[in-house]
Amino acid sequence: MIKQISSKVGGLKNLIFIGTLLVLVLVLLLDIYLVDQILEPLEYFYLFFAIAAIFYGIYPLYANRRLTKYYWERIKRHRLSVFGLAFIVFLIAVALIGPLLTQDPTEVNFQEKNLPPVGLTIQQSVYDLKAEEFVTQETPGTWQHPLGTDDKGRDMLAMLVSGARVSLQVGLLATLIAILIGTIMGVVSAYLGGWVDMALMRFTDVMMTFPFFLLLVFIIFIFGPSLAFIILAIGLTGWTGTARLVRSDALSLRTREFIMASKSLGASDTRIVLRHLVPNVISSVIVIATLSIPGVILAEAALSFIGLGDPTVTSWGVVLNAGQRSLDTAWWVAVEPGIMLFLTVLAFNFLGDGIRDAFDPRSQL
Amino acid sequence: MSNNILEVKNLKTYFFTGRGVVKAVDDISFSLRKGENLCLVGESGCGKTATALSILRLIDSPPGRIVNGEILYHGEDLLPSSSARLRQIRGNRIAMIFQDPQSSLNPVFTVGDQIAEQIKLHLGLKHKQAMERTLHLMEQVGIPRARDRMKDYPHQFSGGMKQRVMIAATLSCDPEILIADEPTTALDTTIKAQILDIFRDLKQKRNMSILFITHDLGTVAGIADRIVVMYGGRMAEAGTALDIFDHPQHPYTQGLISCLPDISTRRDRLTPIPGMIPSLINPPEGCIFDPRCERRIPICGREKPPEIVISGEHLVACHLYSQAASPEDRIEGSQNAK
Repeated sequence: MIKQISSKVGGLKNLIFIGTLLVLVLVLLLDIYLVDQILEPLEYFYLFFAIAAIFYGIYPLYANRRLTKYYWERIKRHRLSVFGLAFIVFLIAVALIGPLLTQDPTEVNFQEKNLPPVGLTIQQSVYDLKAEEFVTQETPGTWQHPLGTDDKGRDMLAMLVSGARVSLQVGLLATLIAILIGTIMGVVSAYLGGWVDMALMRFTDVMMTFPFFLLLVFIIFIFGPSLAFIILAIGLTGWTGTARLVRSDALSLRTREFIMASKSLGASDTRIVLRHLVPNVISSVIVIATLSIPGVILAEAALSFIGLGDPTVTSWGVVLNAGQRSLDTAWWVAVEPGIMLFLTVLAFNFLGDGIRDAFDPRSQL
Repeated sequence: MSNNILEVKNLKTYFFTGRGVVKAVDDISFSLRKGENLCLVGESGCGKTATALSILRLIDSPPGRIVNGEILYHGEDLLPSSSARLRQIRGNRIAMIFQDPQSSLNPVFTVGDQIAEQIKLHLGLKHKQAMERTLHLMEQVGIPRARDRMKDYPHQFSGGMKQRVMIAATLSCDPEILIADEPTTALDTTIKAQILDIFRDLKQKRNMSILFITHDLGTVAGIADRIVVMYGGRMAEAGTALDIFDHPQHPYTQGLISCLPDISTRRDRLTPIPGMIPSLINPPEGCIFDPRCERRIPICGREKPPEIVISGEHLVACHLYSQAASPEDRIEGSQNAK
C-alpha cells in the first residue's frame, strides 16, 4: 500500500514530505478554527519553506556528499560568490537570532533621537528646558545604540535586524512561489506542447506585458498592505521569466533520447515530467532563483519606501523612507539600510553568478 | 502461426508535415517468432525506426500517425489499446534499445537507480530486491565491478558501457521481445562485436525474440535468422539470412550486397548504388526504387510491384518476377541487366 503510493509520487522521501505538509495544513486549519492562533498564518508559510528546504535542499546535499563537494569546489573558485554566500549565511543568522537580542525596533524615545553611530559626534541643536531656548550641543554616539537612532529615537541596529528578517522572508518566499509556478508552467507547457503550450505561453506573455509594479500596487490596494499579501503578490507576478527559461530547457530535453527510452520502458507522462524533466531543469531553476531574489528584495523595499508596505513591520524600505526626511540632520538613518540593501543584493548576485558557473558544464573554472 | 509472437500487418505510418505527407512506413508486413532474430535492414530514412516506434506506439503525434494496419502481440492488436495497457507492455513485454547510448540515459540519476526504476515499476519489487536484481543484470551484460558502478552517473561511463547499461535496463523485466534500433551504430568496431555477442547470448540463453534494426548488412550477417530489406518505407525483399545473402532477388538487395567490402576478393573500389533515396513526400509512382534501378522495365514506373513468393519464406516486391509484367517488359529487363 505505502509502497504503491510512494512509487506513484516518486519515492519515499516525497511521500514523507507530502505527509508532513498535510499535517502542517491540518494544524493550520485547527489553529484557525478551533484554537486561538498559536502562530500567524505567515509563520506556517515559513515552516513550509523550512520543510521544503530540508527535504529538497539540505537532505540531498547531505545524502550526496560527493556531488556536494564537487559543486563546493567549483563555487569556491569563484571567490566573490563565497563572500556572497558568507554574507547571506550571516544575514540568515542575524534574521533568525537577532530579534531576540536587540531591543524592540518600534520603541520610541525622544530623549535619544538622532544619535549618531558609535565613534561619531555631531553638533545638534537641542531645546534646553532650563534656558528655554535651542542650544547647539555635542552629541556623541553611545554603545547603547551602536548604529545610532533615528529622528524618533528608535534603535537603528534593531530596525536593521528586523529589516533583514523581512527582506529575507520576502526574498526567499516570494521567489519560492515564483519558481514553483514558473517551473510547473514551463515543464507542462514544453512537455504537452500543442494548444496547451500555446495557451500557457500566451498567458505568460500577457503577464509579462502587464506593468509589474502597477499590478503590485493594485493587488496591495485591494487586499491591504500585509506582508503575506505582498509576498503572494510578488510571487504570483514574478514567475514569467522562470516559465520561459524552464520551457526552453524542457523543450530541448524532450527531444533527448532518454525521454523516448523511458517511454519505451513503460513510464507514464507524470513520471516522465517528475523524474526526467524536472530534475534536469533544476540547475537552471536554482540559478534563476538566486538571481531573482535581489529583485524581489528591492521590490519590497521600494513598496515600503513609497508607503505601500506592511505598516506593522519594520523593513529596510520603511527605514530608508524615514531617513530621507532627515538626511540633513541624520544621514546615517538613510545610509545604513541603503548599505544593507546594497550588500544583500550584491551578495545574492555574486552567489547566483557563482552557482551558474558551477552548474554550467561549458564553463572552465 | 502460433509461433508468431508479434505480427505487423499492412502498417502505414505517415507524418503530416507542413510540406506534405511523409509516408515513412508504407504498407509493411512481417512477423517475429519466438526465439528468432529478425533484422530490418535499409538505408537511413527508409522507415526502419518509424516501424520500430510504431510497434510500441511511440510515434510523436502530431505530426506522425499510424493510419492503417495491425500490430498483433500474441494476437492482441496494440493499435487500439489504451495507454495504460501500452505502459504495461512497454518495457515489461516488449522493450526497446536506442541508437545513441550517450543520450538515452538520464544524466541526473545513477545508472543503478535508473535500471531499478523499471524493475520497481513493472515487477513491484522492494528497493533492496530491485537493487539486487539490477546488480545481477549489470553483471550479466558484462559491466565490470558492477556493485561500485551502480552508484555512478551516466557521464562516468564510456559509450559501450552505457549501451550495456541500456541493455540491462531493457532486460530488467525479462521481456519477450527486444527491439534494438541500431544499437551498435554509435560504437566502434571492437565494442560493436562485444555488444553483438550479448545479443547472440540473449537469443540463445533466454530464447528472446529480437527485432534488430540496422543499416549495416555486415552486422546482420552474424546474427540474423531472417531479414526484411526495406526501401523507401516499403518492403523490398524478405527471407531467411541464407536467402538474402546467397540468392538476393531484388535489384536493391543485390546492390546492397555488392557494396559490401569483401576481404576474400581483392577489389579496389566498392560498387555504390547510383542515385539518392527518393523523397518520401512525393514518392515516384509505381516501384519506389525505379529511379535508381539498373534493371527497370516499363511497368516499374506505372505500378506498385506485388509481393511475390520466390521459395518458402522468400518474398520479393519486384516486377521482374511478376506474372503481371508483359513479355516485352521481361525481355527489356533482362537486356538491361546485361
